[in-house]
Amino acid sequence: MHPILSDRRRLALYLLGWLPIGLLLTAGLSARTSWPTAAALLLPLSLVFAFMSLNAGYLCRVFPIDARATIWRTVIVQVVAATMVSTIWIAIGAGWVGALNLIAPDLRAGAVFSERRLLLFVIGALLFWLASILHYLLIAFEASQQAERRAIELSLLTRDAELKALRAQIDPHFLFNSLHSISALTTVDPAAARRMCLLLADFLRETLRLGANNRIPLADEFALADRFLEIERVRLGPRLQVTRETDPQATACLVPPLLIQPLVENAVVHGVSQLVEGGTIRIAASRGGPTLTIKVENPCDPDRPRRQRAGLGLDLLKKRVVTQFGAEATVLVEEADGRFRVEVRIPAEVAA
Amino acid sequence: MSQIQTVIVDDEALARGVLREMLAGHPDVEIAAECGNGFEAVKVVSEMRPDLLLLDIQMPKLDGFEVLELVANDVTVIFVTAYDQYAIRAFEVHAVDYLLKPYSPERLAEALDRARARIAAKDKVPEGLVAAGRARQTPLERILIRDRADVHVIPVEKIDYLESQDDYVSVKAAGKSYLKEQTLAELETLLDKEVFVRIHRRYILNIARLSRIELAVKDNRIAILVDGSKLPISRSGYARLKELLK
Repeated sequence: MHPILSDRRRLALYLLGWLPIGLLLTAGLSARTSWPTAAALLLPLSLVFAFMSLNAGYLCRVFPIDARATIWRTVIVQVVAATMVSTIWIAIGAGWVGALNLIAPDLRAGAVFSERRLLLFVIGALLFWLASILHYLLIAFEASQQAERRAIELSLLTRDAELKALRAQIDPHFLFNSLHSISALTTVDPAAARRMCLLLADFLRETLRLGANNRIPLADEFALADRFLEIERVRLGPRLQVTRETDPQATACLVPPLLIQPLVENAVVHGVSQLVEGGTIRIAASRGGPTLTIKVENPCDPDRPRRQRAGLGLDLLKKRVVTQFGAEATVLVEEADGRFRVEVRIPAEVAA
Repeated sequence: MSQIQTVIVDDEALARGVLREMLAGHPDVEIAAECGNGFEAVKVVSEMRPDLLLLDIQMPKLDGFEVLELVANDVTVIFVTAYDQYAIRAFEVHAVDYLLKPYSPERLAEALDRARARIAAKDKVPEGLVAAGRARQTPLERILIRDRADVHVIPVEKIDYLESQDDYVSVKAAGKSYLKEQTLAELETLLDKEVFVRIHRRYILNIARLSRIELAVKDNRIAILVDGSKLPISRSGYARLKELLK
């Protein structure tokens, strides 16, 4: 149903809007004849047209002005429709005049109507086009409102994912284990204990600082991961080894904050720390034209229980990448031959 | 009072260091050994039979609970971990205490007092209670088998089938077989019922390994596995199999 017809107050307002048009037409015709004749003829016909012009709404929705629409198609559709609507209107008008002649022959409406029929036909067509234009504007307005709402929803979703990511970022067990290491070091190596405190403070501060940005250089992200790895190396000792292959073109790229850090954390928590002999985490970043590729690879125990498998963090990462880059980005996760690999490809952005 | 023979199990050297340092203030507690992983712990504890085990939970290969499952039951246990979510399970396996890292010397002393009381009372954990605590983690994700000093960890998805051998179960996986001291009926209750089906009084089959079912003579059916081996199917076993394959 047409949105105007579905609401009584809206309909009343709409018909009220047609009153000046009806009066204007009456005034125009009254120059040729008497006021009462013009009013009796045109006020009811205006009311009828008010309803007929609502058809423009359906027409505008069936033939929207979009990428596929050509000017010619739109013009032809509107001309045909206006001609048809106006013709029907004039036919209804003829019927009404016939009735008027019976009810009030003194008004001599028949003569005036036949004299002005063509003009009324043209006015009808013009009014219909006006209605079409208004409907097109209304549709465009609705579309832009919808787009705005979608944009807000999307940004909320992004923000939400970001907040969750940040909250998940600082794993309480990481903190407790680090504090325990400090507790252990205070007596045997006070200098190392102090260094560990400073590292931990730096890591926490940097996590919060970077998390507040929209984009950060990949180099900053790697610096954060370095601090994390340094702290974990105090705990895990020589079991934790890291190699890194990065080219300066890649580290200069801008990335969403805390994108890589969770991958490195997974590599330690679910990978290296679950191996008796430990292992080497390989981190690589490269830029190939418009694409930035970041790889994090770690050895893992293929027989580890399912509950120790990384799941949540990776799901979150995928969601973030998809909301921010859409189809332009891919996250590849694979596990084979005791090695766990994550590859993130996102569009390479460089600071202006 | 006699010395309390103690074994420390933690994969982090620093964490072992804290314990060593704090235990120095308790002359009746003697550190018999320190282990850096679960495998080592199983071996050492089985050989030394210490009085007290200071046991980390999150470790490579075998976690603290799995270590406990594999060693003799008559050892007093204090769990030492950064994770608070295992506390309930810890008491189900009758740990005397549960220390959260980082802990104070006082808190450790309190735990040791409880351990002393338990050891003095010779209040040993009755046989089977450890297994009962373990049983709550169902369905089983992996089967642990102790073969003298060696420990085998077999993820359940790698199992082809299980065969009953009196009080033992022979676990067939990847062409090898391992003997586990447990009855088939007990193991059956711990396995995922969507994957493992009792096809015969003596056999439990991993449904993923079934290739086809052949009719031998009269009502006797035989399961042909993917690797070609054949297992008998009993009448009630066939009913269960049909139910699962529906």
